[in-house]
Amino acid sequence: MEDYKFLFKVVLVGNAGVGKTCLVRRFTQGLFPPGQGATIGVDFMIKTVEVDNERVKLQIWDTAGQERFRSITQSYYRSAHALILVYDISCQPTFDCLPDWLREIEEYASSKVLRILVGNKIDREDREIPRHVGEDFAQQHNMYFLETSAKEAENVEKLFMQIAQDLMEQARSKDLLRYDSNTTRIEGKTSSISDSNCCSKLA
Amino acid sequence: MDLEVKMKWAQTASPEELQAELEKITKFKDESWVNLNSLSAQKVYVDDKIKGLTKILPTLRMINDEADNLVGTIKNISASSDKISAEIKTLDTARSRIEECQKRVSDLIDLELCAQGVQKAINDEDYETGAGHIHRFLSIDQNLLTKTAADVEKASGIQKAVLTLKDAASQLQAIVQHRFDEAIRNVDLGTIERFFKIFPLLGMHDEGIRCFCQYLSTKIEEAAVKNMSIALNTSISDKRQPVVFADTLTLLFEGLARMIDTHQPLIETYYGPGRLLSAVSILQNECDKQCNRIMLEFNKNRQLNRKISLINEVNTGGSFSKLDRLDPKDLDILIGEMTVMHMRAELYIRYIRRKVTADLEISTNDDDEKRIKLEELEKVIKNSHLTQSKHELLGNYLRLEQYFMEESIGKAVNMDTFDTSSDQQTSSLVDDTFFIIRKCIRRAISTGSLDGCCAIINTGCRVLESDYCAVLKNKLKQGYPSGYLDLTQAYNVLQTSLQQGRLQPSDAEQARTTFLVALNNGDVSTEYVEALCDSVIQEIDQVMPNMKTNDRGKLESCLSGLSSVTTNLKDVIDYGMQQLRSSAVKPRVNPWVDAFLNVNHQFTEDELSAYEAGVPFVQTLMFNLDSLLSTLKAYLTPTNYDTLVGLVTSEITSRLEKVILKTTYNRLGGLILDKEVRMLAGYLTTSTSWSMRDKFARLTQIATILNLEKVSEIADYWGSHEGALTWRLTPSELRTIMGLRMDFKVEDIRRLKL
Ligand SMILES: Nc1nc2c(ncn2[C@@H]2O[C@H](COP(=O)(O)OP(=O)(O)OP(=O)(O)O)[C@@H](O)[C@H]2O)c(=O)[nH]1
Ligand SMILES: [Mg+2]
Repeated sequence: MEDYKFLFKVVLVGNAGVGKTCLVRRFTQGLFPPGQGATIGVDFMIKTVEVDNERVKLQIWDTAGQERFRSITQSYYRSAHALILVYDISCQPTFDCLPDWLREIEEYASSKVLRILVGNKIDREDREIPRHVGEDFAQQHNMYFLETSAKEAENVEKLFMQIAQDLMEQARSKDLLRYDSNTTRIEGKTSSISDSNCCSKLA
Repeated sequence: MDLEVKMKWAQTASPEELQAELEKITKFKDESWVNLNSLSAQKVYVDDKIKGLTKILPTLRMINDEADNLVGTIKNISASSDKISAEIKTLDTARSRIEECQKRVSDLIDLELCAQGVQKAINDEDYETGAGHIHRFLSIDQNLLTKTAADVEKASGIQKAVLTLKDAASQLQAIVQHRFDEAIRNVDLGTIERFFKIFPLLGMHDEGIRCFCQYLSTKIEEAAVKNMSIALNTSISDKRQPVVFADTLTLLFEGLARMIDTHQPLIETYYGPGRLLSAVSILQNECDKQCNRIMLEFNKNRQLNRKISLINEVNTGGSFSKLDRLDPKDLDILIGEMTVMHMRAELYIRYIRRKVTADLEISTNDDDEKRIKLEELEKVIKNSHLTQSKHELLGNYLRLEQYFMEESIGKAVNMDTFDTSSDQQTSSLVDDTFFIIRKCIRRAISTGSLDGCCAIINTGCRVLESDYCAVLKNKLKQGYPSGYLDLTQAYNVLQTSLQQGRLQPSDAEQARTTFLVALNNGDVSTEYVEALCDSVIQEIDQVMPNMKTNDRGKLESCLSGLSSVTTNLKDVIDYGMQQLRSSAVKPRVNPWVDAFLNVNHQFTEDELSAYEAGVPFVQTLMFNLDSLLSTLKAYLTPTNYDTLVGLVTSEITSRLEKVILKTTYNRLGGLILDKEVRMLAGYLTTSTSWSMRDKFARLTQIATILNLEKVSEIADYWGSHEGALTWRLTPSELRTIMGLRMDFKVEDIRRLKL
């Protein structure tokens, strides 16, 4: 048996070419792939990390940004524990599409999902989206915000480790809640039966 | 000591000393004699040896002389062989020069011949011979030729021949190209094949492949146009009409595959292996063009865009009229056609990949070259319209399939019926839902796309986890009605009234049925989910063998999502059981248990034998439970029934514990209690396939304490010795319980060391 305490699903979304695959490869394999082709459907990668001496398995789903794969990629939103929405800081249209992506997320993802906005490619000279604009957008929509460069390995490790940390804390507090509801259940207070939560699938 | 010293010593020595010295000397003399004798014996042997050696001496001298001679001879031989080898080397160089010379001469002769022959051949339109000459000319090392020309006196002749041949070559190339085009225009198959074979002789491999494949492309187009018009003219009533575009697409791919199969040997013979990639790349253009046409007509005729936008409207809750809402049944056939089309495209791409890879495999041993070519192949495939159409087709298919699944299950929910006359314990919803999900996943598998399968598995998981569980839970939320009717009676009334075809069952009766059926639906669904996961993985393995580990990981992750639906279902069942407990179990069971309080547990001997004969409290309780459980047993699945018995048992044990603690006992009363607890535990354990013993652990221990002969006997059960029990009671609980025995002294109990 594999040895890990928590398993989290992290899904990356965002326009084609913003660098989702590069971010994932940088994190899982420590490289910046040359001549990276567009993703077809969904790619799947696993990395186990250590947070607070616990082994946490991250299952990373790298979705294709191209429109024609939407019906495949959407089916993965619901089981996601974290959703990373990526845009390219040197490409205005990828930022302009963010509201559309949020609408998709609202429609398909769980309301409890952890949402992170990422502005990628900060190594590029031709920035079009100032940092504070991305930051404001994230704040308005209640998301974490981070700027990264898959190429220069800027903030990539931090992005995923932060997610692992957050999800673990979330899961722990939910575990406690769940335990409470169990004990009340034994007392026979049927009214306090909680809805099943996603956390039952963890670990 | 030498003699002089000895003499001196002898003069001063005492007679004893002299005596001792004499003995020493005598001993020495004796020893010397022995040595001398053995030496003289050896002398004879040594003399013999010396005599022998003297005889051999002349022979040795001879051998020495001969060896000297031999050394001389060898030196001579070595010297001369050095000389010979040098000569052979010279000879070798000479011979290779001669060969080279011969080749040059023969090249020159051929050059002359070719130059002379080529023009004649061209004039005679004997292009094969002409091209043969050019081929020979091109096989001559052109550098060497220029060098020869420089070396030879008749240089101008050679140069002239070269020029002639070069001219002739371009002349021929032009002619071949021209005649080939002409032949294509005239659809002159013989000529086409004739010139196809001439191209490589003129070093025009790429042109040859290109021209030939362009020709093949026209043939494909011709057939495709014909097939399309047949497709578009297929009558509505035709059996194939519902899959006519899948048929057309299939014909296109089959035609292409046949073409590649028949012409590959030809290409390999005249152009050598490794040329299939360029051929396939050219043919792919035509394939793309025709594929687009078919997809366009397909989308138009099947009104795909309208359907997709209707579906989107439903999904986003937009303003659609009820009339426009698509019936999933009407999408069934279209979805089927799309899966076939996708599978065909998938198979064709696999075919191309297999063919080209095999061709590359035999053409070169250079791994790098192979890798580059394979990457090129993947690029051709990836950038083709075929691949893009395939992706779009899959995307649209998934939209329809997801809608189909949701809507069909919605329908199954609305049409949910429970057949009271059959012995089924579930309603139609369960079988219908799982039939639909299985059907959709199976269809997704038949597209040949793993991503497609995973997406539909995800959708199935979503529908089950949210919609389906919500439906079950809603039914349970209505609660289990607890009217004045006992639930046993409720069923009897329901059954008889239905059997006699009299009444409609009352609302309360119907609500009870709905509730129990929902519980059963949940339980059977957990089994179905597990079976579904097992069968899906098997079916996928059949259609997609040799899956990459990463793909398998993807699939397994999606399937584990599906199988975790059982957790949600178990929560739903749990919820229902708690409802049942509070509205049906508790109100019935508590009064039965409370009857315990009516039994005085301080028996006299006379009372004891009377009571013991019947044990009325437990007998009544068991009788009541029996009627409660046995009727429910028929209406619940085995697992649900076991859960219910567990529930009832927990209820009884916790209630009974309370009333036991409210009663006082004497020795005989304790005896009876112990018997009562044992009977009850035995009864409930035989009622189910699970052991209920654990739930009785505390009660059994309480009874053991109250059944003690005297206070000190507790030592047999308490402590760390072998006979001791694993106690579920705390020491203070134990003391309290002992206090219920009226005949136990309080001080004795207090004095106990626990
Ligand atoms: N300068 C720079 N270029 C990057 C960075 N990350 C990705 N790229 C480039 O952006 C292009 C697209 O990267 P991908 O990772 O394939 O983009 P994607 O989001 O996965 O695209 P899809 O799979 O089509 O959705 C590639 O050419 C990368 O080299 C980065 O941090 N800096
Ligand atoms: Mg990608």
